[in-house]
Amino acid sequence: MQLSCILKKSVIFTFILSFHTWLAVGQVTCKLSVTGKVLDEFKNPLPGATVFIKEHNVGKVTDRDGIYVFSEVCEGDYALEIKFLGYQTQVVKLNLKKSETIQSILITEDRLLSEVVIADHLDPIGKASNYGALSGKSLEEVRGKSLGESLLSITGVNTIQSGPAVFKPVIHGVHSQRILILNNGVRQEGQQWGAEHAPEIDPFIASNLVVIKDAGAIKYGTDALGGVIIVKPADLPKDQQLGGQLHVVGSSNGRSGVVSGMLEGGIKTHHGWGWRVQGTAKKSGDLHTPDYNLSNTGFNELNYSASAGYHQEGKGFEVYYSHFNTTIGILKGSVVGSTEDLAIALEQEPPQNTHQFTYQINSPRQDVKHDFVKLIGHLRKGESLFNFQYGLQINNRREYDLRRGSLNEVPALGYTLYTHTLDAEWEKTKEKSHIRSLGINGMAQDNNKMDGTQTLPFIPNFNNYSAGLFWIEKFSKTNWDWEIGARYDLRYYKIVGYDFKNKLYRSEFSFHNVSATAAGTLKINSSSTFTSSLGSAWRPPNVAELYSLGTHQSAAAIEFGLLLDEITNEVRSPDEVNFRAEQAIKWVNTYRRQKERLTIEISVYMNYIFNYIYLKPRGVTENTRGIFPYFRYTQTDAFFLGADLSMGYEMTKKLKLNARISLLKAKDETNNDHLTFIPSNRYEVSMRYDASNIQSWTSPFVEVRLKYVAKQNSAPRVVPIRDIILAKEQGIDLFENDSRNFDFVDSPEGYFLASFSAGISKPIKKSKLDFRISVENLTNNAYREYSNRMRYYADEIGRNISIALKYSF
Amino acid sequence: MKVYFNFLLLLLSTTSFILLTSCKNDDPEPENIPELITKVTLKFTPAGGGAEMIITATDPDGEGVQDIKVDGPINLIKGTQYTLSLDLINGLYKPGDAGYNITTEVEEEGEEHQFFFRFSDGIFSSPTGTGNIKDNASSTAESINYLDNDVSNIPIGISTSWTSSNTALMDKSFRVLLKHQPGIKSSTSTSLDGESDLDISFVVNVN
Repeated sequence: MQLSCILKKSVIFTFILSFHTWLAVGQVTCKLSVTGKVLDEFKNPLPGATVFIKEHNVGKVTDRDGIYVFSEVCEGDYALEIKFLGYQTQVVKLNLKKSETIQSILITEDRLLSEVVIADHLDPIGKASNYGALSGKSLEEVRGKSLGESLLSITGVNTIQSGPAVFKPVIHGVHSQRILILNNGVRQEGQQWGAEHAPEIDPFIASNLVVIKDAGAIKYGTDALGGVIIVKPADLPKDQQLGGQLHVVGSSNGRSGVVSGMLEGGIKTHHGWGWRVQGTAKKSGDLHTPDYNLSNTGFNELNYSASAGYHQEGKGFEVYYSHFNTTIGILKGSVVGSTEDLAIALEQEPPQNTHQFTYQINSPRQDVKHDFVKLIGHLRKGESLFNFQYGLQINNRREYDLRRGSLNEVPALGYTLYTHTLDAEWEKTKEKSHIRSLGINGMAQDNNKMDGTQTLPFIPNFNNYSAGLFWIEKFSKTNWDWEIGARYDLRYYKIVGYDFKNKLYRSEFSFHNVSATAAGTLKINSSSTFTSSLGSAWRPPNVAELYSLGTHQSAAAIEFGLLLDEITNEVRSPDEVNFRAEQAIKWVNTYRRQKERLTIEISVYMNYIFNYIYLKPRGVTENTRGIFPYFRYTQTDAFFLGADLSMGYEMTKKLKLNARISLLKAKDETNNDHLTFIPSNRYEVSMRYDASNIQSWTSPFVEVRLKYVAKQNSAPRVVPIRDIILAKEQGIDLFENDSRNFDFVDSPEGYFLASFSAGISKPIKKSKLDFRISVENLTNNAYREYSNRMRYYADEIGRNISIALKYSF
Repeated sequence: MKVYFNFLLLLLSTTSFILLTSCKNDDPEPENIPELITKVTLKFTPAGGGAEMIITATDPDGEGVQDIKVDGPINLIKGTQYTLSLDLINGLYKPGDAGYNITTEVEEEGEEHQFFFRFSDGIFSSPTGTGNIKDNASSTAESINYLDNDVSNIPIGISTSWTSSNTALMDKSFRVLLKHQPGIKSSTSTSLDGESDLDISFVVNVN
């Protein structure tokens, strides 16, 4: 490869630019460049490795070809630190007098917790953020799982589940509208309001999954009270070399299969152009617990994406399209039409309507399609970088319930949501490691109900126009890296819907607010750092929280929005009702230490959310279907306090011990009450043995994990359903004068889970085969998880054996 | 490179144009709510002739917070045989509209629906016992005098026969439950199967 070619190829573009280097020191020549290629033992390029010039605290990430470039470097002595997850860190000493080209070969070293290291300089995380990440090997381990389930491998991240296939991520105890998901740099917009609505993203598109756990993600707009999830694909290739990956995963539980393929390359005669196509198909039948089948819990998924673009130093553009399509069955035994039905369902095990295994998916079920188009462009002019991004998302959700006759094939709930987003940013590198960004975000949404569902719409039709402005400064002073920022947002809603009498109502109103963050990372010494971030965030109430009306899929409870009158239940004008936007202050402190054989990361956080919106039980009503408790969206102040700990210890070169602990306490401060669905404390220990290569087979490993999930003792009081019905029959409304949160049943007992995995790789010329076998719930335990809404009706899934094969070239 | 940026600019302006012009401001279409039952009428017709006993339960607000209203207790004459016919109405429709009469719908889909009953012990001499609504899988269901059947010869219960007790009884209860059992209804299915479409309790007096 010619030097000039390497130089051209190695331009690393990331949408929000990584730290570019202007190292002007004294009068010495500062026009030199350092170009390098990072390879593994088999001479395969290692994309995504970080290369760091310690003396100047600047880093680069290698591109798809494993190439990195530092330009405008001054003469002098440098130590280049090259890091990649699962490989030993290498330090290259340089005495730079002329531009140099370096080739580095990294040796495998499986260190489980090293994802923290690789994430260190990943974009778009600032230097001073609190985050967790999955990339490289840690991401391979969760291939085939849904996005929510994959993120469970990050400490501090949990899920709210609705059955075995619907996972909604929870960061530090908050979820749904309170966390932001960035799919390919664009805010993911669907019907986030429902706890049974999982994110519509295929995790196979990602080369990194990053979770920012502080409120410091100020660049992306409102709603990030709990944090931000970033799903980031690899950069597009820039040369003509054809590359690709094929994943095949088969699992015993559900007799499921996942096939995912990716092909990418460049254009021979047009350097800088690159393309990628990718697709995933999943099919699963009914899953099963150790003792019985979970009827109607299968799912099908078909996703694909294509992207093409041109990237050269200083300019580039890219077009991206993706399609996501899923059909998910809802457990038959969880279908309830009244509290009486619920009482029966709670008492039955196995759940009612438990049948033989089938791949067939009947009602109740969800059909969700998500189409996404993105256009980006970037341009560098001197010290300024301009980024533009436009996204269009079309989200189609259809929910089918068991209905009478011909209505069975008509969705009971159907919405189509169009979201346009436009982001523009100007980033200016002012001096050595001082970057200023200014930007604007715009969003226009149009949500329309599907006509002909023949049900009262649960939420109204709406238009939502939002605009925001942000300013961020990143700089380093002595041993501190700082990031401070502020933003202003405006949101305007235009609503038209139908109330419980099927009478039309309209409304128009707006919200605006400011938020700010400050974060600093102190380099205590070469092996430890301390990060502290304090940030505010806000979120206007979601349309569902304002206007919800009716019952949800299998909830046996009626929900009313904030704007519905307490007595008449009619929709009121927003000026007449006293409600506010949610406002959070989150403080996160993280200490990291990585020295010799011990890696440790401790994070303590507190999140105070003012005007926290939640469903509060307000009474019991009787209609022709029976007796129903009803809930109103209400506001209170909520406080979340927690700690995450992760630790890795190398007992010998080959044997590693890892531990993770995640603790959380949440409280309704105003009413001195517990909040619902807060994940309980969990503890995990794992032991991994990496054996020596066996002839031409490489990196064999065996790993055993043990996890303990404690019982949620801080759960709301229990009011059995039979008590509610009995009291109502005697003319007593249990919630009229006591609106403390409640649950129909006690939180489940704590449980232990063991899992096992093993793997080996086989390099074949320029390609590589990876085999992995894993067994989850090894002892086939019957247990229930507090944060799974299915816990009312059935156990969690039993033992699951998966075999995964990956072919990459 | 200018070309590309012009291209991008063009795409952006096109999409913004589409965005601005595609905003509909039309009102959404109102939905018909055919599954809602707002009024239930129980008609007890004496077999030997005489005055009918008619009781209605009305839901004033569907998914709203107001309770259903029942217009007084069911007053039965002792030692009398009655035919009970049930009438379900969706008040969101006008009489004569297809969606108005739910009873017809239930009848047409008889193989997916069944009415179940529970009553205080002793208020009827036939059927005896407390009815066929089960509390749990182990509780017993007693037989009801169904007068109608679906295509598979399994009872529906729109029409049933009852004989009141020979002794006077006050403030007793009578519960009507309609279960929707698509693909579930069989000769062995019970009140524990399927989803509740209707579940109302009444007060009964036998004089």
